[in-house]
Amino acid sequence: MENKDVIIIGGGPAGLAAAVQLYKLGITNILILEREKHLGGILRQCIHDGFGLQRFGESLSGPEYAQRFIDEVRELNIPYMTEVTVTEVTAGRKVTAISRRGVMEFQAKAVALTMGCRERTRGAISIPGTRPAGVYTAGVAQSYMNLANIMPGQEVVILGSGDIGLIMARRLTLEGAHVKAVFEVQPYPSGLPRNIEQCLNDYGIPLFLSHTVVDVKGHSRLEGVTVAQVDEQYRPIPGTEQEYNCDTLILSVGLIPENELSLGAGLTLDSRTKGAVVDEDYQTSCTGIFAAGNVLQVHDLVDFVSIEAERMALSIQECFLSSQFGNAEIEIVVDASISYSVPQKTTGKKDFTLSLRPKRPGRNCTVFVKQENVTIARKKFAKVLPAEMIQLAIPAERIDPEKKLEITLI
Amino acid sequence: MRREYTCIICPIGCDMTAEIEDNEMVSLVGNNCAKGRVYVQQELTNPIRTIATSVLVKGGELPLASVRLNKPVPKASLFKVMAEAKKVILLAPVRIGQVALQNVAGTGADLVVTKHVDTIH
Amino acid sequence: MRDNTYDILIIGGGVIGSSVARELSRYRLRIGVLEKELDVACGNSCRNTGMLHAGFTYKPGSLKAECAVEGNREFDQVAQELDIPFKRTGKVVVGFSDEDMQNILRFKRIGELNGVRGLEMIDKAKLNQIDNSAGGEFALYSPDSGILNPMLYNIALAENAHQNGVDFFFDSEVKAIKRQGEHFQVTAGDSVFSSRWIVNCAGMHCVTISEMLGLHGHQVKGFKGEYYVLDKKASQFMNIPVYPAPNAKGGFSTHATPTVDGNILVGPDSYITEDPDDFASTRDHMQGLVKDGSAIFKHMKAEYFIRNFAGTRWKRVDPETGDVLDFLIENRDDHPGVVNLIGIESPGLTCALPIARRVVAKIQEKEVLEVNNDFNPYRKGIVRFAEQSKERKKELIATDPDYGEIVCRCETVTRAEIVQAINNPLGAVTLTGIKNRTRACMGRCQGGYCETRITALIQEQCKVREHEVMYQHKGSGMFIGKVREVLDGE
Repeated sequence: MENKDVIIIGGGPAGLAAAVQLYKLGITNILILEREKHLGGILRQCIHDGFGLQRFGESLSGPEYAQRFIDEVRELNIPYMTEVTVTEVTAGRKVTAISRRGVMEFQAKAVALTMGCRERTRGAISIPGTRPAGVYTAGVAQSYMNLANIMPGQEVVILGSGDIGLIMARRLTLEGAHVKAVFEVQPYPSGLPRNIEQCLNDYGIPLFLSHTVVDVKGHSRLEGVTVAQVDEQYRPIPGTEQEYNCDTLILSVGLIPENELSLGAGLTLDSRTKGAVVDEDYQTSCTGIFAAGNVLQVHDLVDFVSIEAERMALSIQECFLSSQFGNAEIEIVVDASISYSVPQKTTGKKDFTLSLRPKRPGRNCTVFVKQENVTIARKKFAKVLPAEMIQLAIPAERIDPEKKLEITLI
Repeated sequence: MRREYTCIICPIGCDMTAEIEDNEMVSLVGNNCAKGRVYVQQELTNPIRTIATSVLVKGGELPLASVRLNKPVPKASLFKVMAEAKKVILLAPVRIGQVALQNVAGTGADLVVTKHVDTIH
Repeated sequence: MRDNTYDILIIGGGVIGSSVARELSRYRLRIGVLEKELDVACGNSCRNTGMLHAGFTYKPGSLKAECAVEGNREFDQVAQELDIPFKRTGKVVVGFSDEDMQNILRFKRIGELNGVRGLEMIDKAKLNQIDNSAGGEFALYSPDSGILNPMLYNIALAENAHQNGVDFFFDSEVKAIKRQGEHFQVTAGDSVFSSRWIVNCAGMHCVTISEMLGLHGHQVKGFKGEYYVLDKKASQFMNIPVYPAPNAKGGFSTHATPTVDGNILVGPDSYITEDPDDFASTRDHMQGLVKDGSAIFKHMKAEYFIRNFAGTRWKRVDPETGDVLDFLIENRDDHPGVVNLIGIESPGLTCALPIARRVVAKIQEKEVLEVNNDFNPYRKGIVRFAEQSKERKKELIATDPDYGEIVCRCETVTRAEIVQAINNPLGAVTLTGIKNRTRACMGRCQGGYCETRITALIQEQCKVREHEVMYQHKGSGMFIGKVREVLDGE
């Protein structure tokens, strides 16, 4: 059993940023555990640019963004292990990991959960029909194309206008596939506007809002799908069915934070984010276990993932210095205009950044953070979209420790 | 004629509305900064894009290295850029920043490698 | 040049065909199995609830009843011999009303007539002791009922048969059967086979083969049932199969069953299908399962949905009246050399080996079979890393570091297991076959992490190109080629 100050589970953008920050703060008895052969996480397959505009002032591809952090990890000689899969994290911060070298156990003072997320599947959204070859989630198709040099199909229909689906629409088209259409069940697109522009409009790929796939056809390989328009309750409207011949169905229907290890540790998850409930220190309901990045809440910009991870690292250092892990009692609640907020609780003792997502698109609106009738913070936006995370700074000095924080978007 | 644009210059993605006459921008509303105007002007006269793709690597740990254009090129030349990219074969080891193909399809832009690929043992 | 002459050809590599193969391999015979698909367990053998029935729902004196009780009794030994997961969990059939009580008592009587052991009526208190989430005022408790993994059972039977000398031919759909004196000439796939005996275990296609054999007049009717597979997290709420009281006709409405691997199956429902290859899930029935499922299992929620599938029970029916009939295992004097199996539907899984022994008996009525002294009933499956103790895991990794590489994160399946599955004794390699042998791709991410790794391993181990990687059926290529071709033939 090896003792470590911090074990970081996942060497993607969140884990790498946290590691570098911890090291720079003087916490060097740390270890990054990464299950792939290389560090970098999901960025390794995100070859399109748009990463790092905030962080580095440049529009980088995923691998380049990751390499900036990997270079720092190497320069600082931060300990990391690849091809290691963590199989258990206990509430007492014992970490068990498996690799070709055997079974390893660590006792950590703090654990940083930075495992990222997985994709929602066909089965999770109950798409009827047969089960032929040719149905792929967008991330898997991306991995095949960008890492394995494999072309999944030729005649493509995409369900879901999330960013990954949009990116893949462009990728597939540029490689000679015929992307017939993108269908989105919501009445508005799920992905960033610039991706709608550059990935669909540029190539004349139509986007049909308020539509979904209601049947999958084909015995061995996919032969076609049936799509239909949906009503306000997302129920298919009879009579609106249309057939599309295709050999490939790409699903971009949502990301789910990968919290199986977290559940094993017994920490509380937020059913809205599917990530851990945390305080402003990014500490979960398990003392000494922290979370940041996509495993905490699904982000749209990797730059914010790195910043969040760095804030988490700072908090870990503060906890070590003060020899105590805080106890957050002030609840943060949202109303129906907002899907969720992170953090969900606060100690009220330090300034922090609040992240949230609006439930619906809106224009000229303001986020209010109140305690009963007192406004603690507010921020105005010309435009808000569920696809774009909103962040605002919350000053601790204005917080009344007796009352909960209520957030609304008007 | 009125046309809607969503600016792609920065992540804010301003929704803009332009009045176009004879392919000239008469007015523009909705942009938060001057870059939006530049973007719409560019879209009208000569829409430009950057793209990312992959090139083959021989002898590497991975079969492909991701590449991207180091500056935007006319939208109309994208498929020509792709045709050129498909012919490129690099020899491992390959490094970020390495030029995979210079002046692709005569656009003046280079295809630059964006991922390290080490030699396979 | 391969000699395609056999003593016995079995048509169909499902659980019935594989059981027949295994039992016949106890004798000195040249045995071949002709399977239409690319692997065993591709028909309804992989599309059922995985129940080991006790036998209290079948007409006394019927083959179904006799074989179910026999198959149930011996299964602890069978599971041990074949090294497959099996849990004799018991089962409760719960009721609320007087009508329920009447229908349940009828099952108890039938069960006792059939020789089912241990059936008892229990009250609410005892019911809650056995399973505290089961709703009901009273129940019939059947201690002998159990759950197993039907794919692994089919695979194990086939591997054991193969181990004992049986040849398996995949992608070998039987196209024509001609009698040539004492032999049959069978055209299957691209080959022609010759055999003295033919055993028809073609399942949903049994009538098609029966007609080819000249045994006319049989009819089967397809009762299709759809399922939801729920996340293992839901199974913490259900320990044993809990069935609602049957209706007056003895039919069960939607129920939920834990699987031996820890998932929950909700279903099957029941509706008629005419098409033997119809395995599509349909929106109306999926919605029906959600509605009915939620009524009996309150954790029937979208957050637990993993996937859907459908299977069909092809019941033998009287062509005149349409009544459902018993299993048929026939060998007619006017059609020598044929053992014809019609309508082997539920409880086919439970009855597989008893049926196989009756097939052997039919053949023995006509000729003396010499015992194969080398027959080995024991077959070893792939060791599941996930189920081993920490010490054993360390040992496994020390002997083969491939055990230290976790390929399927959701089900903790290692590279060693995937490689063994790819190199399985039957030589069948499809993504679905690997899934069935290892549990990879069966978790909540449905291959999101492991599928790319498994397909890479298939290409590497089998030395095939990407367009040759099959998902399940013939023609189910997963990929169309490379993104970038290597032009100089590398």
